Amino acid sequence: MKTLCRKLLLCLAALASLSGSIAAQALQVTDDRGLTVSFAQTPLRIVSLLPSLTETVCELGQCQRLVGVDRYSDFPPVVRALPQVGGGLDPNIEAIVALRPDVVLLATSSRAADRLQSLGIKVVALEPKTHADVRRVLEKVGQLLNVPDAQRVWRVIDAGVTAAAQSLPATARQTRVYFEVNRAPYAAGESSFIGETLTRLGVKNIVPASLGPFPKLNPEYIVRANPDLIMVGDRNYAGMEGRPGWTAIRAIREHHVCVFSAAQSDVLVRPGPRMAQGARIMADCLQKMSGKAP
Amino acid sequence: MTVISHQQRIASLLGLGLLLTGVALIILGACVGSTGFESVGRAWSDPMSLLIVRDVRLPRTVGAWLAGALLGMAGAVAQGLFRNPLADPYLLGSASGASLGVALVLVLFGVSPFAAQWLVRLGLTGAAFVGAVGAVLLTLALAKGVQHTLRLLLAGVIVGVVLGAFSSLTMLMVPEVTQAMQAFILGSTGFVGWIACALMGGVWLFCMVVSWMFSHVLDGLSLGEATAASLGLPLAQLRAALVVVIALTTGTAVAQTGLIAFVGLAAPHLVRSVVKTKHARLILLSSLMGGALLMAADISARWLIAPQELPVGVLTAVLGGGYLLWLMHRSGGARPGAGA
Amino acid sequence: MKTVPFPNAIDARFISASLGHVQVLNNIDLSLPAGQWTSIVGPNGAGKSTLLKVLAGLLPHTGAVALLGQSLDTLPRRRRAQQLAWLGQNEIAGDDLTVWDVVMLGRLPHQAWLAAPSAVDHLAVEQSLRATQAWEWRSRSLGQLSGGQRQRVLLARALAVHAQVLLMDEPLANLDPPHQADWLCMVRALIAEGKTVVSVLHEISFALHADQMVVMANGCVTHQGACADTATHRALEAVFDRRIAVHSLGQQWVALPRN
Repeated sequence: MKTLCRKLLLCLAALASLSGSIAAQALQVTDDRGLTVSFAQTPLRIVSLLPSLTETVCELGQCQRLVGVDRYSDFPPVVRALPQVGGGLDPNIEAIVALRPDVVLLATSSRAADRLQSLGIKVVALEPKTHADVRRVLEKVGQLLNVPDAQRVWRVIDAGVTAAAQSLPATARQTRVYFEVNRAPYAAGESSFIGETLTRLGVKNIVPASLGPFPKLNPEYIVRANPDLIMVGDRNYAGMEGRPGWTAIRAIREHHVCVFSAAQSDVLVRPGPRMAQGARIMADCLQKMSGKAP
Repeated sequence: MTVISHQQRIASLLGLGLLLTGVALIILGACVGSTGFESVGRAWSDPMSLLIVRDVRLPRTVGAWLAGALLGMAGAVAQGLFRNPLADPYLLGSASGASLGVALVLVLFGVSPFAAQWLVRLGLTGAAFVGAVGAVLLTLALAKGVQHTLRLLLAGVIVGVVLGAFSSLTMLMVPEVTQAMQAFILGSTGFVGWIACALMGGVWLFCMVVSWMFSHVLDGLSLGEATAASLGLPLAQLRAALVVVIALTTGTAVAQTGLIAFVGLAAPHLVRSVVKTKHARLILLSSLMGGALLMAADISARWLIAPQELPVGVLTAVLGGGYLLWLMHRSGGARPGAGA
Repeated sequence: MKTVPFPNAIDARFISASLGHVQVLNNIDLSLPAGQWTSIVGPNGAGKSTLLKVLAGLLPHTGAVALLGQSLDTLPRRRRAQQLAWLGQNEIAGDDLTVWDVVMLGRLPHQAWLAAPSAVDHLAVEQSLRATQAWEWRSRSLGQLSGGQRQRVLLARALAVHAQVLLMDEPLANLDPPHQADWLCMVRALIAEGKTVVSVLHEISFALHADQMVVMANGCVTHQGACADTATHRALEAVFDRRIAVHSLGQQWVALPRN
């Protein structure tokens, strides 16, 4: 009898400790720096210092957990009402600490991580740069926020991109596109986020992957490549026709230039959950241009 | 007298050499493009190549020569006027003024379509020029005229620092313009066309004439301000005229090619390392040397990682600075000091 | 003795000048006779260099200065530069110009705007360089010379102006004794031509070789008189707190420290 009781007690104790250790390691996330961060429970107060991470959190339906964002986070509109704690590269440490966050989400390139960690705040560093990154970050943040259906969210986004691609007529597929990121000129190459969207839409990029994601081009290269369509933000478009030799480019001659507003540029450039919207913006423009008579 | 003609002969040879180098570099520049080296012979067979050589490469190369010539001239004038071998043409704040002008216009481009219309006509080049000249006027106002050289220098430094801080602030508040601003700050001849070349050529001619007219006053100034005044030299007019020259040359060069550092500082030193001469010849030779320096840097910037481009400002520092370092090393070892 | 049209080379009336907030010259009245060599002496900080600059028209001042009968205020800059040459003390000169070019700068007041040097200019430069024994190294640059050689070149520059009046501040700086003696001969030759020389000198014994002496202290002129006068000698000793004594040595006067 005694030995039976003792065995039962031992079993109970083992079970208890087992459940306890499971509870202790309830949440472990490995971020982009390769560090593993443990949480006793899913964080309820989140500060985000990167606009794409802000959008990711809200896309997973957890907008209400955000207590502070950086000054550049502006989507969805509800986050504009949140306290702003500086920029991604120059955050206001004091303001962040005052918000008593359970976790701070920021880019791997931010220097604030060390400072915040030394103050005892948990930091998860994620920086999406490609389409694959968006999926990975979505799942990581989903895991962190204990959202079970992050995979579904991704599938919806992915389907949106595919739908945008399929909405294009076959003639649009032959278009050779030049995407100018800014007027130096920096172009978006095939290996950049924008370039990947263009590839999924089925169009050709005049800047091959071998030149890197955002090469600073010799303007002559663009004249020689003679793209059929130019995509550019309105801030960088001003004065484009005046560039020496550029009137010879087919896109300029035939006015096949997609000029995006600042809001649209934000959607296109940020590697985040609004990918599908970005793809739709580009597809709309491509459709309009291929419908125009040359 | 023959020994004096020796210096004159060296100066003439240097001038001729720099001119020939310039012509050779123009030809080379017409051959270097987005595919690396590409002989001009192809241009005759292919209309696209002809267009590129005529409308894109040649104006860029000639523009680099002219911008370098403007900066070299400004550097020699600044060093003569302030009697300081470390003076560079951006001393009166024109660089920071141009930066701020460009930053503000870049920000305003995206703000309203109405603003965009006349802003486009002004263009980034116009904004940079207005900014540069505005900064020099601000310096003049701060220094209350051109009477005191030291006050002018101090005011120039202050204006430069303050306007630079404002343009940094602009970049911080509107981060979309940061990359374009950085490209401007590091310099590029990317969008220089024939009209820009004509403009730069006109300004070069005008400023060279004015500088040449005042060159003997600069020589007198090198004896000291009081001595120059005792020789009856018109010092106030000299300062006013040369400040105008510095403002115009740097404003025009910066407007077209961005902030290219080091050419204005290094070109006069490079000339002086070959021949010691009076200001009339020094300013002209410095101009030619600056043009050759910037052209060589521009061609290298286009060639090294074609079809990508390096910023020209980095290469001018490497080329000019490297040569000066070598000079220092050579003279530091050879001569310990002038004898009695 | 040559007759000169104006008895006074320089007339200064009620001259006051200040550097910054310090009053350096206090209400000075001075007449420097033409065709003679006047030396200005005084202790450190007496205002000698400032006075010389004011007489040359190089410093703002209250009062009136007249050069050879013409008021400095109304005299055009160029005409003044043709009639008055000034050699400063410790003027920093650029190192790049050759000796010949530096001396040729002294001809600027006589050259038309943008004109090339004429034969007269070349002759003047050669004469000045030979007078200071600098002709041999006329193609060397200023930076390659020693202190004394540089001083002789700057002196030659002042001579090349061929001005009627020469104002020299510490012209003997860095010069070795033979060249100091040469300078003395040069000044005497200038006086013989009818020119006026005014010098500020620390070397009292050399100053005593002049025709006239002006003794200054604390921004005022305490005495002006002939160098041969005993009254001048007493004034000289007094301004230096009687730490020196003036003795006669042959035909010269020398000032020696008093033990």
